[in-house]
Amino acid sequence: MLLLGKIGLGFLGTALVAGAVVSSEGFIHVKVHEKQTNGTYISLVVPAMIVPVTLKFVPNHYLADASTNVRRYLPVIDAAISGLADCPDGTLVEVTDGDQHASVVKSGGSIVVDVDDPDETVHVSVPLHATQSAIDEIASAGGGPI
Amino acid sequence: MKTILPVLAVLCMGTVALAGPPERYLHVKVDDPAGREHVRVNIPLSLAEKVLPAINQGQLRDGKVDIGDFHANGVDLKMLFEAVKSAPDGEFVTVQEPDTDVRVAKSNGKMIVHVIDKEGKEKVDVTIPWEVAQALASSGDKQLNVEAAIQALERAGDTTLVTVTDNSQTVRVWIDSRNTSD
Repeated sequence: MLLLGKIGLGFLGTALVAGAVVSSEGFIHVKVHEKQTNGTYISLVVPAMIVPVTLKFVPNHYLADASTNVRRYLPVIDAAISGLADCPDGTLVEVTDGDQHASVVKSGGSIVVDVDDPDETVHVSVPLHATQSAIDEIASAGGGPI
Repeated sequence: MKTILPVLAVLCMGTVALAGPPERYLHVKVDDPAGREHVRVNIPLSLAEKVLPAINQGQLRDGKVDIGDFHANGVDLKMLFEAVKSAPDGEFVTVQEPDTDVRVAKSNGKMIVHVIDKEGKEKVDVTIPWEVAQALASSGDKQLNVEAAIQALERAGDTTLVTVTDNSQTVRVWIDSRNTSD
């Protein structure tokens, strides 16, 4: 009985540590709601760590073009992500055009994009740290020094 | 109790001192009431300061814009700015044409440019703190030092930099320490 308890505690500890590691880079949240009758409603929350880890399993030749393009702008992307991470939370861009509204907000280490128009609403929240990891992963897929 | 209060006061003062200056923002606000179009941009100056030197594209390199085609005809822009800075406030240039009025003046440590396009019914007001104008011209007569200008803007007080008004749109660019445009 004591052994079973120890095993259970081990599993619980492992699950807790795994959960902490997986959620360490935050979560990507994508929500799409089509406003028409029977319109699609999707709400997806995935650990941001999955993106760079998944990219490791993508064969390099699929990422070669993306890698070339990303490398060209890597210094700017790095500076922008680091600058965004350091700056306080707030609305960066807000556009209203008639009945369409879009905003880009920095909130708690994530960039949140919201679009609301008569047909649909879209909400995307991406942690900056995960974005940096994913960009680095794509850049390194091209091979050679970055 | 008597000893705790001074300690708390010192801690509070220390926290305030360590907090540093508040973040400064560059705001852009475009309103087109007829087209029901509104744009608000709030860029932290610290972000612009970090990103700008990383951009090496076209004429923008290392935070400086190359204006090689600009002919200063041997005029030392730095010296010119120094001379104008020490000059008393007043109007330096006034051009009045049938369709355009242009006025360049210095007032309260700021360079002010007013342009009125009578045909297009457009009015442009540009106000640049002298320190910013000097920083912009600090890399000689072939480059505009945008990075230095942003650093100078961070030290400048709250001010409206540009307003453009025409028949349908108003545009305002300003800096302050608030993270919203309204």
